[in-house]
Formats: sequence, structure tokens, C-alpha cells
Amino acid sequence: MTPRLLFDVLWSTQVGIVVGMLPGLTATMGVALMTTLTYQFESEHAVLILICMYVGAIFGGSRTAILINIPGTPANAATTVDGNPLAKQGRAGYAMGIATTGSFLGSLFGILMLAIFTPIIGNAALKFHSFEYFWLAVFGIIISGSLTAPKDPIKGWISGFLGLFVATIGMESMHAYRRFSFGNVELAGGIELLPAMIGVFGFSEVLMVMKQPAIKVISNKIERVLPRFSDIKRYWQTILRSGFIGTIIGALPGVGEDIGAWVSYDFAKRASKEPEKYGKGSIEGLIAAETGNNAAVAGAIIPVLSLAVPGSAPAAVLLGAMLIHGIRPGPLLMIENPSFVYQVVAMTLLATCAMFVLGLSFTRVFVKILLIPKQRLMPIIFALCVIGSYALSAKMFDILVMAVFGLIGYGMKEMDYPVAPFVLGIILGDLLDSNLRRSLVLTNGNIGLFFTRPISLFLVLLIVFTIISKMKWFQIFWKSLTNKIGK
Amino acid sequence: MNKADFVTSLFLIVLAISIILVSFQMPTFVDVGAHPLSAPGIVPSMLGVIIGIFGFILLIRSILHKGFTIKFSIKDIVIFFRNASIQRLIITLFWSILYVILLGKMNYFLLTFLFITFFIMSFEIKFFKKSIDNKKAIINALFIGIFISTVITLVFRYLFLVNLP
Repeated sequence: MTPRLLFDVLWSTQVGIVVGMLPGLTATMGVALMTTLTYQFESEHAVLILICMYVGAIFGGSRTAILINIPGTPANAATTVDGNPLAKQGRAGYAMGIATTGSFLGSLFGILMLAIFTPIIGNAALKFHSFEYFWLAVFGIIISGSLTAPKDPIKGWISGFLGLFVATIGMESMHAYRRFSFGNVELAGGIELLPAMIGVFGFSEVLMVMKQPAIKVISNKIERVLPRFSDIKRYWQTILRSGFIGTIIGALPGVGEDIGAWVSYDFAKRASKEPEKYGKGSIEGLIAAETGNNAAVAGAIIPVLSLAVPGSAPAAVLLGAMLIHGIRPGPLLMIENPSFVYQVVAMTLLATCAMFVLGLSFTRVFVKILLIPKQRLMPIIFALCVIGSYALSAKMFDILVMAVFGLIGYGMKEMDYPVAPFVLGIILGDLLDSNLRRSLVLTNGNIGLFFTRPISLFLVLLIVFTIISKMKWFQIFWKSLTNKIGK
Repeated sequence: MNKADFVTSLFLIVLAISIILVSFQMPTFVDVGAHPLSAPGIVPSMLGVIIGIFGFILLIRSILHKGFTIKFSIKDIVIFFRNASIQRLIITLFWSILYVILLGKMNYFLLTFLFITFFIMSFEIKFFKKSIDNKKAIINALFIGIFISTVITLVFRYLFLVNLP
């Protein structure tokens, strides 16, 4: 621990909070842009800054959710439900204090799970063979598609499979054949992950934000920020439950913090003694949402380290950044570099502490950032998206990839297609491709082994259940079954 | 959304068919002793089939909801382009794409300065009106443009040692 390290933790967490606060700037975009700014740093140093950015941004979005009823990041959508009514009651500062404490406790719970479960899952994953890796990739796409598009999961699945297709563009690993390059040298090199992600999450957001009308800050008067200990003590069960749910949801491939917050909020409401207060400024509801989304941050890092599969979109960028820095996450990490897992635990803990301290201080100053007009901020973000895409390998083609994927991302968002499964597909594409073909060669085309190995069978059943559970006939059957059991 | 789904489903079906056709034209490398099931076209063709099935489901669903009844009139197009949101989107797209196209063809600092300045000015200046606000907006845009393009250029050129486009 050096003063330089502490300084880096503080500034990167604060930048994360600011990025999270500004509507339209998501945690994913922030982590992606920060990856380009830190790619010349030492690997551990760069990962620390990215984690601080990630933790800060997911928390920072609560400010906007409370003050202007617009979630700064999608992860804070559930925070608006009770956070904004509290602000309207003149308790904006108190709501921010509660949100900060909930985020802090949720993050601590997630860190504990990260430290315990990453080595366990990593060691279990050592038993994975190509069959299991293939099914894991399919499971990631299906669960991510289902949960990020709950109203219309087919759009989530389409998004994921399109991402898998994008990953097949360029030179494949078995025969070095250039797929879908049509004689283009640049396409033969494949679609780089980072420019694609900056486009999908950065440029598309610039377009979405500029399309929306200007927002007005309804309350920037901040009074007491520090929460009462009695409130925190009173809701300890909600905090524990939301922390647990947030971590589990975060650890599911490609699902993310927004779903973690909503599920935690829903469970808290069902278990609450005062559900009528929900939506009208419930402290319990606010704690549940903020504990859930920040617990999901650490949860999303668990599969990154143990399986090299991201739990959320920002975690996908984090995974990409680790690969750029020569770190190889996955089951072998526990053998090759076991201390790195605990370094990440310590980094997340540092980021969480910084978030707590910064979250309770400088509140009045940083809220003023919300007053910056979007037409002044967005061209700067776009210029950073451009130079960030270019900086990694100094290729003009990467800028083109960023722009094209930005337009694709915008189109998808307008048509209600979630973009997270799309990016997850790009990441998991190679895992699925190489392991499917390797398995087929090993078994000489006998697909029985894909279904008879215990872990494979478990994953297949999970996939089938996830798909069937989204079908109307199953939902009607399940409802009638639970009603009968209830009677 | 049903009309949009109808168009999307057609696009997905065409894309899926194209993927399958191109995949089938890929070599199998059997002639050099490779296993036929390791052929590069296997996974893309499988993905093509899955995307095609999803596209077909989307198509059926949109047809059942009468998504195929797409009608265009000049009046609708005029209303569409008069929408303030669409105008803001078009201006953003225009400056962003022009910036990308001109990158590498002129000095990076100058281009970034012009992009940021004109982007801000196009939203903050009230055209066809002479006012002090317009002068202020121009000065603000020029200041932000110079400051940001200088910072980005210096940071990436001298701190991160990037050969700027």
C-alpha cells in the first residue's frame, strides 16, 4: 500500500461515481474508456483502477436516480422507485446516505462471496472438458437473454446468437481459415472486442442521450447525508437477503447489476412488514435496491476469475482488459497465479471503502456536475470513444468497427433488443466454437457424450428449464400447480 | 413494435440464409487429413440455423399481430423528420460520422477541435436570431473545443505515446 496507490483508488473511484451519475454514461462505457487510458499501466495497477471505476459507477448512478428520477446507470433503475419520492419529500441527502450505506454493505457481502467462491468454482471448473465449456457458453447466452429481456426473451436470445456469429468473423483457431472476411485483410483479423464494446455501449449511448429531451434537476438541496444507525440495524435482514441475491444474480453470466437490484427489491417487498410504503419513499426498498446492485458487482467478478465468463457487461470489459494485460482468467488462474484472486478481492475492498468515504463527502459539490448540458458532454465522450478504440492497436479499422457497432447497438436498443447478450456472445464465441468442434472430433461425431456427462447434463437441464420457463403454457401450468399446492 | 419486428425478422432470415450459404462454401480441410467435423463452417452454419429459426418465430408472431401492414405516406415522413428528437439524432449522427470519415485525412487536433466546437454550436446557437446568447454560445463552444482537443491530443500523444490518426 503506497500513497500513489491510495491516490489512484480515490481518483478512479471518484471518476467512476461521476460517470455513474451522468445519465447516459454507463459503468460499461466508463470501464471501457478507462481500459484505453490505462493500457500502458502495469497489469495489477490497471485492474485496480478499472475495479474502482466499476464499483464507483454502479454506486454513482444512485445520485441521479434519487435527484432527477433518471437512473445514472441501468443498475440504479430500481433505486428511482423509492429514492426519488424521498427526494421529493425533501430528504434527498438522507436518501443518498442510505444508498451509500446500502451499496457499501452490499459490496462487502459480495466481496466475502468473491473470496470464498472464486477458488471453489475455479477448482470445480478444472473438471470441465470441452463438452462442459460448450454448454457453459450456450447457458451464458440463454440465461443472459432471458433475464435482460424478461418481457420478450426471444430478442435476448437473438441478440446473444448474433454476438456468437460476430465472434466467428476472422481467422479461426483450428485451421487458420479466414471466415466471412470476403478478401478483406482487416476483417480477416476478426472483430476486436474493445472497439466493438465501446461502440455498442459508448457511441450508441451518445445517440440515445442526444435523442432524449433535456433533463432538469428537481432538487439539488442536500441536507443531512449520514444515515441513522437505527435504520441500518432495523433492516439487517433486508441487507443480508439483498446482498445474497445480488451476488448470485451478478454471478450469472451476462445478467448484471440492474437485474440484481430489481430481484432484490422484489424479494424485499414480498418479505416486508410495510409493503404499502414501497414506491412512496421506503427506506427498506432503497436499501434493498442499492445493496443488490453493488453486491452484483463482486458477484459478476466471480465467474470472470473462475471461468473467464463475465457476469455482467462491465465485467465483460474487465475480462477483456485482463486479457489485454496478459492475465489469463479461468480455471487455470488458481494454479498459475492463485494470489491474483485475492489481489482482486483486496482491490474490490479498497474500491468499496473509497466509494463509502467519497459517497458521504463532497456530495454538494459533485451534484453540480448534473448541471452540465448534454450537448457539451456528448461530443467529448464521442471523441474519447474514437481515440479509445484507436489507441489499443493504432488501426483506423477499429474506429470503423466502433462506429458500425455503435449504430448496430443503437438500432438494437430502439427495437428493444438487449445489447448485453450481444457482447457476451462476442466474448463467448471462441469458447463455444473451439470446444464444440474439439468435442465433435474427440467423439467422432457421437453427440451422446454432450448429454451423458454429469456436469454437461446438469447444464443442459438448466438451459432447457430456462427456455421452457419463459413459455406461456409452462407459466400457466406452474401457476396452477403452485395454487393447488397452496390449497 | 410488431411492424419493426416484421422487418427485423425478414432481415434475420436473409442473414441466416446468407450465413448458411457462405458456411457451406468454406473448405473442410479433409484433403490435408483434418477431421471433417473440425471444418470451419460447422459452427457458423449451426448459428445460421438457430438465427433463422428465431427469425421465423419472430416473423410468424409479427404476422399474427398484423405487423406486415406497413404503410408510408409523405405526411408520415414529414412528421417523422419534424420530431425534435429525430432532428437531434440526425445532427448528432451527421457530426459523428463526418468526424470518423475525416479522421486520418486531416490533422487530429484540428479535426477534434472543429468537431467539438461545431457539435456544441449546432445545438446551442439559435439560428435566424441575433442575440447576445448566440455570441456567448460561440465563445463557449470555441473554448470547450480548444481545451478538450488540446487535453486529448496531449494526453494520448505524449502520455500514452499513441501515434494519433
